[in-house]
Amino acid sequence: MKRLLRAVGVLLTSRITSPVVIGIFLIIYIVIAFFTEDALITQMELTRRSVVLVALLALLPLNIAGRIVAEIRAFIERRRLMYGNVAGSDPELFDETIEIAISPAFAGLRERLDVLGYRTRQTEHNLTAWQGGSIFPARQLFLFGVFCLFVGIFISLVTRTSYRGPVVEGVALPAPSGSGGIVERIRLEKSTGRILSKELIMEVAPSGKGDARTECGIYPPTRYHGSFVYPRFLGVALLVRFSAPDLPSAFEKHAILNIYPAGKEAPLEIPDSPYRLMVSMADPGDGSDPYVTGRMVFTFKLLKDKEVVFAGNVPGGGTFARDGYRLAFPDFRRMVITDFIQDYGVLFIWTAAILLGASFLYWLPVRLFFPRREMLFVRQGTDMIRACSRAEGNDRDHGGVFNEVLDLLDAGRAGERN
Amino acid sequence: MVAVKLIPHILSWAGIVLVLLRGFPGRRSVVTLTSISGFVIGVVGTFTLFRSFPGTVVFGIVTSALGVVFLLIWGISVASIYRSTGRGVTFLWVERLVNTSLCAGMVAAIAGVVAGAVGICRLPVTDKTVLGLSLLVPASGAVAYAVAYATLAIEKRLPKSFAVSPYGMPTAVAALLLFSSSSILRLDLFSPLSMKVMKFAHDFVHQFMESMLIPDHVFIQSYLWRYIGLLFGKEIGFWGGLFIWFTPALLVLLAGQFERLPPVAHIRQGAQRRKILAAAIRERRFRLVIPLISLLFFVAAAYQSRFPSVEYWDPKPIVVTATSSGEIIIPKKGEVDLEDGKLHKFLFNRGGKDARFFVLMGPAGQLTVDLDACAICKPDGYGQADGTVICYYCKTLIPLETVGKPGGCNPVPITFAEKDDGVHIDALTLINEWGNTVQSTSKIKEGGK
Repeated sequence: MKRLLRAVGVLLTSRITSPVVIGIFLIIYIVIAFFTEDALITQMELTRRSVVLVALLALLPLNIAGRIVAEIRAFIERRRLMYGNVAGSDPELFDETIEIAISPAFAGLRERLDVLGYRTRQTEHNLTAWQGGSIFPARQLFLFGVFCLFVGIFISLVTRTSYRGPVVEGVALPAPSGSGGIVERIRLEKSTGRILSKELIMEVAPSGKGDARTECGIYPPTRYHGSFVYPRFLGVALLVRFSAPDLPSAFEKHAILNIYPAGKEAPLEIPDSPYRLMVSMADPGDGSDPYVTGRMVFTFKLLKDKEVVFAGNVPGGGTFARDGYRLAFPDFRRMVITDFIQDYGVLFIWTAAILLGASFLYWLPVRLFFPRREMLFVRQGTDMIRACSRAEGNDRDHGGVFNEVLDLLDAGRAGERN
Repeated sequence: MVAVKLIPHILSWAGIVLVLLRGFPGRRSVVTLTSISGFVIGVVGTFTLFRSFPGTVVFGIVTSALGVVFLLIWGISVASIYRSTGRGVTFLWVERLVNTSLCAGMVAAIAGVVAGAVGICRLPVTDKTVLGLSLLVPASGAVAYAVAYATLAIEKRLPKSFAVSPYGMPTAVAALLLFSSSSILRLDLFSPLSMKVMKFAHDFVHQFMESMLIPDHVFIQSYLWRYIGLLFGKEIGFWGGLFIWFTPALLVLLAGQFERLPPVAHIRQGAQRRKILAAAIRERRFRLVIPLISLLFFVAAAYQSRFPSVEYWDPKPIVVTATSSGEIIIPKKGEVDLEDGKLHKFLFNRGGKDARFFVLMGPAGQLTVDLDACAICKPDGYGQADGTVICYYCKTLIPLETVGKPGGCNPVPITFAEKDDGVHIDALTLINEWGNTVQSTSKIKEGGK
């Protein structure tokens, strides 16, 4: 049991666990790519369905969590050593460790290191010297960022649910909870921002007691009853009335048509008949957007089998009649095809982006301009000194100083012998 | 002429043997014998496969073997960088295993098998009889023996400082194998890699945007969407492919550069310390030579893949018209001979819309009619060479045996009727199919939305 626990501990804290797991997923991707064009989607679906792959994916955040714990422990241990709070030293915590005989020069070592630009601290047993700032916070931010990223991917892949529905003015929001408020208005406006060209606002009335009025925008997506509201395509909900001489009864339907921008066609089948309508929004020609202004004229083509019977334009609320055919669009409303997504992984991924950015902003100046360099001299009994050195950058310069200091101690001892 | 074609492969083989001999010092006889045996097995085995299976299968097997070699190199290069930079990461048991005769023999044999297989793919295997096989065994053995022993003689004269690190050795072997295979159109790995990268980039960006709930192009500023659109083009495939192609050699180079210098704190004579460090730095620099040369071979392989010394058969499309019944009829022996095994392109126009298609007789003697476009790429069309057609947009090779089958980057097949007077194609079907294909691939270009 103890050995098993140790093995699990090694697996979770090893630096090679994550690359190996990522490598396995890469190989699976390559294998899938041999058989299908949609390799990424297939791999995501395969992972979602396979317990083994889910467990393997879970290893990634667990491994990073293990690394965070291991690195915090190492940092605290090194800090305690550097503060002289504990006796002894762990060679694993430093780049170089050496034991040398005690020298009379040790007494003057602190002044020497001060002159060399190191900050120093001396206790009864220890002398510590250091320079620069540690990249430990950047490393931790990085590890937390990667942890959030993997957790986000894991949660998103395993738990994401998506429901698509049309959001129509004057109709209840089709939220998965089933209790969406009435959509009072849909507004599309020009945006002056650098990223979005348009602003879309869906004004939703409260659905019940305690519920607030909500305005759902584009980005960042609004949360509504636990789901992210993700607008996908714009269109029109059009009430279509159609009758033809050879049809026994008139046809009427509220059609959801994906016809934005102007000119984009959408089909509308007339059931139990050879008829089919192709509908689009006519371009007003004055540079205005009919979806924004609400002044919509619909262009249609009526097809019987493959033949075009006739084509024309009908303004919203208008009627077209010819040769016994009658086509009317008495009501039209703005519509947005919207995805309602329950996915808490997204929050983790956003957090990861912030943490990774912060980590880089901290790491770059510290690593370039004042990297951490440390030396520790610990008295071992009455006649030995253990000297340890570690550098996070400029390690050759620091190594030179370390060796110079050791030479100084050695020379002091040689002087004493003479 | 055949001998000239084989020169790059023989030189690559010699390079492989040289690197193996240096990479496994003290195991010269094992490396020499197993690499020669492997080479002969590779040649004979592939020849036997050519006798038993269609060319597509054999080329597929050899390409897969090269792909596995490339993947292994990726793994090794990542391990090398971890070993160099990661405190507490050691691969002692692996390093011990590498120094055994068994490992040396296995690596040399595998390298020999793949090199032999690649070499035989260069030759036009026309004589597939047992007699041909019995001639091939001594011939390939003699070539492998001569090259290996000549290399052995050269290796003995090289200075000791010309060292090959355990990570540099497999990188160099892979680079030489890929260089050798890149001159054979159907074994080229770089072009399919670029195509897969292009597809991955498209899928990834699409999935990323959906996962992060990023709005569609309808809501995004057009200048920004143009930048996002760059991620969907063939350029991303090319540059991404280059990145993946060169990374293993670069990682091994960096691993050599980052290798920690030996500890000298226990040495109290400054001069001796400096001497040891200088020697270690010099040795480290020498170990960079092989990864650097490997990088050059990777460059050469990518260049050969990008600019192959092959002339594609790409005839000018012949304009055709439809009959009053809406049929396009192309006689089998008219302006062109449809049954000559060559790709014949045609252009049909209706209502200002052009549709480009080709007729081809496959190796099995069956005619096929296909659009001069696939369902994935921009319709840049196809050329024909060396038992394949190539998609000009993404450089994917389609074996002639699979032309006429739908899917992937294959040309989109068109329904047709083969009659005595020629090939009959429905003009409306053709124009609609072309319109649908071009429309959907344009969507991909715009960002797959």
